[in-house]
Amino acid sequence: MQEKVEAQPILSMNSVEVLYDNVMLAIKGVSVQVPQGEMIALLGSNGAGKSTTLKAISGLLKAERGRVSRGEIKFEGTDITGMLAQNRVDMGICHVIEGRRVFEHLTPDENLTAAAPTGMSRSDLNAEKEKIYNYFPRLAERRNSLSGYLSGGEQQMLAIGRALVTQPKLLMLDEPSLGLAPFLVAEIFGILQKINQDEGMSVLLVEQNALAALEIVSEGYLIENGRVVMNGTAEALKSNSDIQEFYLGGGEGTDFHNVKHYSRRKRWLS
Amino acid sequence: MDWIFLSELAINGALTGLLYSLFAIGLVLIYKASSVPNLAQGGLTMVGAYVVLALSHDAGLPLWLAIPLAAVIMFGLGFGIERVALRRLAGRPVVMILMMTLGLDIFLRGTTLAIWGGTSRSMELGVSYEPFFLGDIFVSRIHLVGAGVAISLFVAFMLFFRSRTGIKLRAIADDYMASWSVGISVERGVGLSWALASVVAVAAGVIWGEIQGVDQALSLLLLKGLTVAVLGGLDSILGAVVAGIILGIIENVGADFLDPLVGGGSRELIVAAVLILTVMIRPHGLFGRHDIERV
Repeated sequence: MQEKVEAQPILSMNSVEVLYDNVMLAIKGVSVQVPQGEMIALLGSNGAGKSTTLKAISGLLKAERGRVSRGEIKFEGTDITGMLAQNRVDMGICHVIEGRRVFEHLTPDENLTAAAPTGMSRSDLNAEKEKIYNYFPRLAERRNSLSGYLSGGEQQMLAIGRALVTQPKLLMLDEPSLGLAPFLVAEIFGILQKINQDEGMSVLLVEQNALAALEIVSEGYLIENGRVVMNGTAEALKSNSDIQEFYLGGGEGTDFHNVKHYSRRKRWLS
Repeated sequence: MDWIFLSELAINGALTGLLYSLFAIGLVLIYKASSVPNLAQGGLTMVGAYVVLALSHDAGLPLWLAIPLAAVIMFGLGFGIERVALRRLAGRPVVMILMMTLGLDIFLRGTTLAIWGGTSRSMELGVSYEPFFLGDIFVSRIHLVGAGVAISLFVAFMLFFRSRTGIKLRAIADDYMASWSVGISVERGVGLSWALASVVAVAAGVIWGEIQGVDQALSLLLLKGLTVAVLGGLDSILGAVVAGIILGIIENVGADFLDPLVGGGSRELIVAAVLILTVMIRPHGLFGRHDIERV
């Protein structure tokens, strides 16, 4: 228990286990640190436990009858493991959930209003909206049409904008690139990077698209079968041969004489 | 064809219809926040009427004080219902919540029967029953008062749903999970919608209690209120008002034509036909929201 004030991460999660319905163990001891002001990625394939990790941090597990059964989650040094989701949002954790999930029957403008913290004054809210429309000019053009009719990219931008209204210190995004054209992914990731730099907001990004994610984050964790199997700086991960082969579509020019005959996935899991 | 008689039927039908709307607005409020038709709204309306009676006749308060006080009590009751009965059901299948509201209705009816008995009591609002003529057309004063209340509530709630709290309630209706994710308290929002619906129930209970007396039959308003709400689109307050007027007119004029043919009692048939046809032909009603599908 060392107290290092200057190097305290904004979020630290220590060997957290999550149970769904009291029986299904979805993550089995995940430890993740997000340093203040950094962008961190959680990589891994479908069903690895990335989304569950985010829900454990944001408190949305409860809505799906899941709970943290072991370990602890600290945000700015405070234990938040058992806290209600809305209190965590008040503290500055906002989770952009998978699949965009904008309020379809509300306009983008109303989507932003809906997310405003209770105490925010009208002028602060308007200033906040203008800032978000500056980041996402496409949204400004369609601010008064129904959100359900926005394109996938615009909905993702709205979902991020809606999260920004809550004034997060830690923004968590679950697969923001899902189902979007590559140029849109580049645009959205570029904006995320800008927000991270402009406002010093820490970002925890869950992605299957490791190639795009590793371009903007400083550090990454690889999760498989509910465990962290590898972590390191983005550079180190990009140059790792296993990551290249499984997640970056690399391994170009494989020399079939030297193909390894053991399963590298298995080695990670032991 | 006697045009004056027909327009008298239509106008009185429309006024009665607005009283159905008054009831249906309560259903819409709850549907807007939790996507469940509240089968307990009839029971709530009856309880609202009994609470007003208890405060005015039994405790001796004047009506102008008893009615707002009853509204406050019912506001609290609405929050209480969410806290005790519904919170643990959040996120469960809609049919579970529907069954819970049915159970609540039976519970509220049983409770009022146990406390206040089954005899019909009168509200005694003091609205005159002298005939009132609009030109050549005779209308009932209490219906006129009730229609006025319905329209003012309609305007008030239209404004409310543009306020920040109102927008949050609409967000909750759209997506619970997304609401939680941005820190909206879904529980408090659903509680608020029940509280507001309970206040509307007081208004409906007072007006309908004056018209037909306060007894168990008040809870049967649910059938007509539900028909109006479904025709209007379940989540549209404007829909509830327009559909109320339409149903009132169809019912009143239609019954006048049909009653001589079938020997009376065709009102209920007309209401049933409207409900069934709406569900078959236009399930999202006149103004209800569609599920948005992008192509």
